[in-house]
Amino acid sequence: MKPPESDRRSFLTAGAALSLGAVLPGPASAASDATVLAQAAGRSTPAAAAAAGRLTFHGSDVYHGLTIGTMRVDVSMLEGNAYRLLKTFDTAKDGRSDGAWFEGPTFKPGRYELLMHVGDYYASLGAKLPSPPFLTQVPLRFNVADVAQHYHIGVWFGPWSYTYYRGS
Amino acid sequence: MAGISVHALNAVTGKPGAGMRIDFSVLEGGSWRLVKSVRTNAGGRTDEMILKPEDTKVGQYELLFYVDEYFAKQKGLASSAPAFIEKVPVRFSVFDATQAFHLPVLCTPWSCSICRGS
Repeated sequence: MKPPESDRRSFLTAGAALSLGAVLPGPASAASDATVLAQAAGRSTPAAAAAAGRLTFHGSDVYHGLTIGTMRVDVSMLEGNAYRLLKTFDTAKDGRSDGAWFEGPTFKPGRYELLMHVGDYYASLGAKLPSPPFLTQVPLRFNVADVAQHYHIGVWFGPWSYTYYRGS
Repeated sequence: MAGISVHALNAVTGKPGAGMRIDFSVLEGGSWRLVKSVRTNAGGRTDEMILKPEDTKVGQYELLFYVDEYFAKQKGLASSAPAFIEKVPVRFSVFDATQAFHLPVLCTPWSCSICRGS
């Protein structure tokens, strides 16, 4: 969930005097802009809290046209040479994370893996697929460099394909 | 034709993902065993199939694409931002060894698309 555009705009307007927006270009830094500006102003607002660094997820089922059930996602981080499980989540029925999965002190920089249980998802919906299906557990790996930013992981998935990207 | 083959594509430039390293592994007894490391040719494909039809068995396989290493070497595309996409594991089942399993992978530093192609 990103803040309403009007909230973000008001922060950016407030920030013009501080010229902070100019040194943090690009849409990817919009969240950290708002955070820095809120801190500079010495206050915490609902919009600033909403813009803080966090990890969110949205899996879209492009086979059915909309996500129509929960999907299990195991979140791991790389420690040494191995990915260690941090926590297992079930998405909401629309495929989104129910709020942020990690934020504030629980959101650490590093290499993440989200293991999507795509096979179980389609099996629960009764999709007719080969056994074993082409995709069963799909790992999505990415690097989180700056935990002050919002990392939204978007995925379009089907039984035969998937696309993942840094979203917003 | 059966077997396993790949095609790496650079979705930033629309060109083949040439010279990309790929590690190919098979799931055996619950752990991944590296079978071989290969590099894509100028066309983004591999000179030889990842796995020839006669060697392909029903099972679970992994292709690990070195996307970060690939983009780090691309002139004019280097970014000062830390990589978001690094090495991309693609895990899939061969459920019928008489079928072809062709896996195109389209990548950018910020996204990756994988599908079963033909």
